Amino acid sequence: MHRVEHIMGMPVVVEVRDGDVPDDVFDWLRRVDETFSTYKDGSEISRLRRGDLALTDASDEVQRVLARCDDLRGETAGYFDVDAVGLDPSGYVKGWAVDEAAAILDRVGAREYAINAGGDIRTRGRWRIGIQHPREPQAVAKIVEGDDLAVATSGAYERGDHVLDPYTGTAPQGILSVTVTGPDLGTADAYATAVFAMGPRRAIDWTSRLRGYEVLTILADGRVLLTPGFPAATP
Amino acid sequence: MKRQQITAVAGIAALVIPVANAAAAGKRKITTIRRSVAGPQAVADRWGYVQVTLVVKKTTTTVGTHKKIVRKITGVKVPVYPNHTDRSVFINQQALPYLTQEVLQAQFNPNIDMIGGATATSYAFEESLQAALIAAKKV
Repeated sequence: MHRVEHIMGMPVVVEVRDGDVPDDVFDWLRRVDETFSTYKDGSEISRLRRGDLALTDASDEVQRVLARCDDLRGETAGYFDVDAVGLDPSGYVKGWAVDEAAAILDRVGAREYAINAGGDIRTRGRWRIGIQHPREPQAVAKIVEGDDLAVATSGAYERGDHVLDPYTGTAPQGILSVTVTGPDLGTADAYATAVFAMGPRRAIDWTSRLRGYEVLTILADGRVLLTPGFPAATP
Repeated sequence: MKRQQITAVAGIAALVIPVANAAAAGKRKITTIRRSVAGPQAVADRWGYVQVTLVVKKTTTTVGTHKKIVRKITGVKVPVYPNHTDRSVFINQQALPYLTQEVLQAQFNPNIDMIGGATATSYAFEESLQAALIAAKKV
């Protein structure tokens, strides 16, 4: 079964090969949106931004998410920074929300599923995932194949909020898109955002030293750089 | 570092000595130094640059006020790893990272289940290959 709903301003596709898609999955994502959306005035994040809510009074969930975002700032040399332009943890929350949604599917017994939330994907079982070509909307640049994947992509071609370099406040140059795979989609999401913001030189240095996650970086000059363990499908 | 001093007695040296330096004439002093110096990081094997050590023998020959210095490289030392384990430790300590590089290619009509990437907004989604995939499954 597969279902598509529009939540958090984007399409969410849930496909389960060995069962139904329960409402719980979409209910959860809507709850995340109510709590974390910067577009909803009443969300905890919006209230924190305005100063109407103190961090110590925020829900445990929000505090845990923001604590993880603090760690990610350190892990990415400051290139993933939710405080850079007013509090905005959406670069982590999207992936984290999908990780939790996957746990809901696990609990109902699904063993072969894929959740695609606005281009960030979490799978269980074996799936072939195409990475959008940054210049050709109807083509893919690479196919990822494997079991139990989390795949997050950050790209210059996405409409909507632009990724900014937290150090300069301007749009970074030189990278068209970054795809990160690994055990945790929230982390992969944050890493993809950070690498995109770093620009080519730092991205090469940082991704080549990364352990536990694999990265594919498409540069504006047409080069594609991959960490040695990136799960590209063998042609 | 070894230091050897050999003082030659006048008469054994086979040098032509100016008469004007008759007082110093006949005294020849040879000093030899062996020193290890870290050489340039010019030797690269597939694990990266390896620093070599050079053994230099410096011989100073002094006759009166005339000094002659000759330097000769008498050896080159390259780090040797007696077994595989030590070399792995060396590699890990070097932590030489690398990435593989390809050229960007476009694959149309790919055989895939899902698309990752630019479907961040509903508008982009409608135009995307992902929507086409779903539509195809409905058929």
